[in-house]
Amino acid sequence: MPKVAVYWTGGCGGCDVSFLELGPKLLDVLSQVEVVFWPALVDTKRQDLEALPGKAIDLALINGTLRTQENVEMVEVLRSKSRYVVAFGACAHLGGVPGLANLKSREELLVEVFGGGFRPTPPPGGPSEHALPELLPQTLPLAGAIPVDYVVPGCPPPPALIADLFERALAGDLPPAGHVFGKDKAVCEECPRKKEDRKLDKIVRPHELQPDGERCLLDQGMICMGPVTRGGCEAACPKAAMPCTGCLGPTPKAGDPVLAMISALASLVRAGEEGEAAFSAEDKVLDSLADPLGTLAKYSLPSFPRLARSCVPTPVRRGP
Amino acid sequence: MAAPNPGPKGPRVGVFVCYCGKNIAGTVDVKKVAEAAAGLPGVVYATTHEYMCSDPGQELVKRAIREQRLTGVVVAACSPSMHEVTFRRAAQEAGLNPYLLEIANVREQCSWVHEGPAATDKAVRIVRAMVEKVKGNHPLTPVEIGHSRTCLVIGGGIAGIQAALDVADAGFDVILVERSPTIGGRMAQLSETFPTLDCSQCILTPKMVDASRHPKIRILAYSEVEEVTGFLGNYRVRIRRKPAYVIADKCNLCGECAKVCPVRVPNEFDQGLSERAAIYIPFPQAVPSSYTLDAKNCLGLVPLTCGECAKVCEAKAIDYDMQEEIVEEEVGAIIVATGYDLYPKEAMAEYGHGTVPDVIDGLEFERLLSASGPTKGQVRRPSDGKVPREVVFIQCSGSRDPELHKPYCSKICCMYTAKHALLYRHNVHDGKAYVFYIDIRAGGKDYEEFVNRAMEDDRILYLRGKVAKVFREEDKVMVWGVDTLTGKRIEIRADLVVLAQAMVPAEGTWDLARKLRIACGSEGFLKEAHPKLRPLEALSAGIFMAGAAQGPKDIPEAVAQASGAAAKAVGILSADKLVHSPEVAEVDEDLCSGCKLCAPQCPYGAITVDEVAHVNEILCESCGTCVAACPSGAMSLRNCQDEQVVRMVQAALAEG
Ligand SMILES: Cc1cc2nc3c(=O)[nH]c(=O)nc-3n(C[C@H](O)[C@H](O)[C@H](O)COP(=O)(O)OP(=O)(O)OC[C@H]3O[C@@H](n4cnc5c(N)ncnc54)[C@H](O)[C@@H]3O)c2cc1C
Ligand code: SF4
Ligand code: SF4
Repeated sequence: MPKVAVYWTGGCGGCDVSFLELGPKLLDVLSQVEVVFWPALVDTKRQDLEALPGKAIDLALINGTLRTQENVEMVEVLRSKSRYVVAFGACAHLGGVPGLANLKSREELLVEVFGGGFRPTPPPGGPSEHALPELLPQTLPLAGAIPVDYVVPGCPPPPALIADLFERALAGDLPPAGHVFGKDKAVCEECPRKKEDRKLDKIVRPHELQPDGERCLLDQGMICMGPVTRGGCEAACPKAAMPCTGCLGPTPKAGDPVLAMISALASLVRAGEEGEAAFSAEDKVLDSLADPLGTLAKYSLPSFPRLARSCVPTPVRRGP
Repeated sequence: MAAPNPGPKGPRVGVFVCYCGKNIAGTVDVKKVAEAAAGLPGVVYATTHEYMCSDPGQELVKRAIREQRLTGVVVAACSPSMHEVTFRRAAQEAGLNPYLLEIANVREQCSWVHEGPAATDKAVRIVRAMVEKVKGNHPLTPVEIGHSRTCLVIGGGIAGIQAALDVADAGFDVILVERSPTIGGRMAQLSETFPTLDCSQCILTPKMVDASRHPKIRILAYSEVEEVTGFLGNYRVRIRRKPAYVIADKCNLCGECAKVCPVRVPNEFDQGLSERAAIYIPFPQAVPSSYTLDAKNCLGLVPLTCGECAKVCEAKAIDYDMQEEIVEEEVGAIIVATGYDLYPKEAMAEYGHGTVPDVIDGLEFERLLSASGPTKGQVRRPSDGKVPREVVFIQCSGSRDPELHKPYCSKICCMYTAKHALLYRHNVHDGKAYVFYIDIRAGGKDYEEFVNRAMEDDRILYLRGKVAKVFREEDKVMVWGVDTLTGKRIEIRADLVVLAQAMVPAEGTWDLARKLRIACGSEGFLKEAHPKLRPLEALSAGIFMAGAAQGPKDIPEAVAQASGAAAKAVGILSADKLVHSPEVAEVDEDLCSGCKLCAPQCPYGAITVDEVAHVNEILCESCGTCVAACPSGAMSLRNCQDEQVVRMVQAALAEG
C-alpha cells in the first residue's frame, strides 16, 4: 500500500481541509493508502518521521510557504524520506499570500506586527529545542529549499486536480517530474463569459460593481487574472462573479504573471480617441488600480522576486 | 517546425564585418570586431571586407557558407532595410536557408551615431547579440499566396484617372470608384492651370473619355467603398452604388428634366456660386455621361411627390424604382486617390467667418474664372454681380499657422494665387490686384518664372505680410494688414477678397483609411510607409496612394505619383505568385486560451480567435504587438522567441 505524508508549513491550513472536498472519493483514496505522517490527522512527530528509513514515503504532499528555519528543516527531512514530493497549494507552489510579506524585510515586519519596541530574544534558558524557530529573511516557495517533483496548484487546490494526482499515483501512472497538475491553457478557456469588447476604460474593485452576468469581467473593469493563470479550476471564481486572483499560478510560458498582466493591461487600456492625447488619460486608468501588487502578485511574489526587490525601499538588514 | 540552428552538432556561425569604405571603418575598428566575433561560442569563422555588399563581398559569404558548412551567418553592416535581401539571397544561392542569416546593424545604429572607442565596443555587442539570435533561428519557408488580377482605384480625380489608365494599359482590369456622380475631381473645376495656363478641362476631359472607353476600366460613379477585408493580393471589397435614378445608357443629356424640376439647391460643382435642380449633371462633359437624380433634394420618391422629370424625359431614362446596389469584388491591389478639400473659410474668424459674400476661396475664384462657370468666365463678385476693380488675394490662409489653423504649407497656393492674379488681370484690364504673402515658394519647373511674371505686372502688387482682419464695410471688403518690408500698416477697400485656403484631406478620408486599415498622419492625409523610400505605399501590403490624398500637391505631381502607384500595383497584379515573409507571429495552440486579448491589438487585423487565436500570415507585418499583449505566452514571433531575445539582451549587456 503506498505510503503518504501530508505536511503543513507556513499556511492557513486550508490546503489540509481541501482534501475533504474530494467527498466520497476521499474514502476511496484513504482505503488505498497508508498515512504515515500527517500532523493534522494522525499523531506523529518529527522524531517519528526521522526514524523512518530513506524513501520510506512514496508521496509527500507539502503545503504552506517556508517562513521559518524549522519549516526548512522539516521539508528537508521529508525530502530525504520521500520518493515524490508534491508542492501542494499556492503557498508551496509560489510562496502564496504569506509571500506578500517579502515586500518588507524581516525586521520591518516584526516591528509592523509587534510594535516598535519588539526584539526577538531567545527564551531565558538559552537556545534549546523549545526556542522559537528563527524567521527566514524572506519567505520561500517549497522549491526554494528542496527539489520538488510535482505541483498541485491552487488556493486551495481544486478537488479535480487533487483527484487527478491520486488517481495517477495509485495507478502507477505519474507524469514526468516537473508536471503541474493543472491545464497549460489559461482560465479564460474554461470561462463561459463572453469576450467581446476587449478594452479597459476603467478599473473597479470587486465590491464596487455588480458585474453583468454574461460579459468578461476584465471588459467590465475588474482586474481578472484569468488570462495569465493556469486553468484547471473550471473558472470557479469568474463563474461566481468574482475576478480570478491567480491562485493556480501563471501558465507555463507566461513568465512573471505580474509583468504578463501589466503588459496585457497596457495593451487593453483605452481612453478616448487614439493618439498621444489619450496617453495621460490611459495612465490615469492604470494608476487607479488600487494595491497593484496585492492584486497582481497575490500568490506569486516569492517566485518572481524581481519586482518585489524593486519595490522594497530599504535594503534587507541582517538579523539581531 | 524543423529543428533550430545549432542542429545536432552545435552551431557553426560565420560573422562577416563590413568596412563600408569609411562609413563603418571611420569610427569602428572593424578588424577588432571580427576578432572579437571569432572568439564567440558557436562562431567558427569571422572575416572582414571593404564592401560586403559588392559581388566579391557576397562571394566571400557564399564561399564560407559552403567551405565552412555554416549553419548561420551574421553580416555586420548597414541596416537590414538596405541589404538584408541581398545577403539572404546570397545565402540561399550557397545552400543556406535565408532565414538563418541576420544583419547586425553596425552602421546606422552604431558608426554613424557614435565616436571613439565606444563605437567599436558597441559594434561588438551588436554582433554578439545577433550571433545569439542566429543560433536560435529556425529555417523557414516563405508563405506563398495566389491573387486577384484586378485593381481597385478609389477616387476619380486626375490622380485616380491616371492610375486607372496606367494599370488598364498594362492589361489589368480596373474598378474605379468615385463618390460623386462624375469622375474628374477638382481639376474639372479649375479654369486654367499654372504654369502654362492651358485650359484645365481641355486637358482633363480627353483622359476622362479614355477612362470611360477603356475596355479594362469599369467606372462605378456615385459609389463608395463600404467594407474591405482580406489582404495583399486578395482584398474583398464591398462597394455601395447609390441609385442615380437615371439609366445612364438611355440618357441623351437633353436636359429637359432639369428644366422642369422645381427644386433649386446650391451647385457643388460651382462651389455654391450657382444653383442646380435636384436632377442634374455636374458639367456637360461628365463621365459617366448622364444625369443624376439627387434623392436627398428631390421633393420625394417614396411616395413619388412630383414626378415632373420622368414626364418630360423622351428617352425614358428615369427610373424612380432604381435600387441601391452592392457590388462585391476581389482585387489584388488598391490605389487610394481621394484627393482634397479646402479648409473651410468658415473657420477663418479673422477673415469674416465665411459670412462676407465677397470673401471667397480659391476654388470659388476658379469657378468665376472658368468659361463654364456661373459667370461664363467673367469675373463678377458674388454679392451684386459687379466686376471687382480691386481684388485682394491672401496666401497661406489657414496654412502655416500652427496656433489657429494648419501647421503645414499647402504647397500650391503661391502658384495658383499668382495664376489667379494674372488671370484676373487678363479679365479686368484696369483692375488692381494685391497679393499678401509670407514668402513665395515656387519650387517647380518654370514656376519661379511664372510667379515673376505676376510680380512684374505693374497692376499686381505683392505685399509681404499677413492680413490681420477682413470685414465688410458697406459694399466693400476692408482688408487690414501690414507690409513687413516697409513696416507700414495697410488698409485696402477691396471689392473682392480671395483666400488661398489650406488644402485638407477630402472629407471621409479617415473613415476610408480605417476601412482599409491604413494610417493617416496627424493632419489626416494618408501616411506613406516611408517618407523617402516608400512614398507611394501604405504600410499594409498591396495598398498604394496617389495625389492630394497623401498631401497637398499640384497636378503634375499628382499625375506622377499616380503613374508610380500604378507601376507598383502592376508589380503585384502581374506577379506569378506572391510571397510573404514567414517571420510572422505564430500561436501555440496548446497554450492559447482564446482570451481574445491579442486580436484587437493587431494594427493589421491579422488575428481572429475562435477556440484559439489564428494569425493570418499574409496580413501579419511582424510588429510584435500581440506578443506583448498575450498574457499567457502563447503568441510569439518566428525567429524572435522570448528566449532568443533574452539571450540577445544578455549577450549585448555582458561584461567585456
Ligand atoms: C484653387 C486651386 C487652384 C489650383 N490650380 C492648379 C493649377 O493651376 N495647376 C495645378 O497643377 N494644380 C492646381 N491645383 C491643384 C489640383 O487641384 C490638384 O493637384 C489635383 O486636383 C489633385 O488631384 P487628385 O486626383 O489627387 O484629387 P481630387 O481632384 O480632389 O480628386 C479626388 C476625387 O476623389 C473623389 N473621392 C474623394 N473621397 C472619395 C471616397 N471616399 N470614395 C470615392 N471617391 C472619393 C472625389 O470626389 C474626387 O473626384 C489647384 C488647386 C486649387 C485649390
Ligand atoms: S505581430 Fe503584429 S501584425 Fe503580426 S499578428 Fe501580431 S500584432 Fe498583428
Ligand atoms: S492573447 Fe494569447 S492566449 Fe489570448 S487569444 Fe491571443 S494568443 Fe491566445
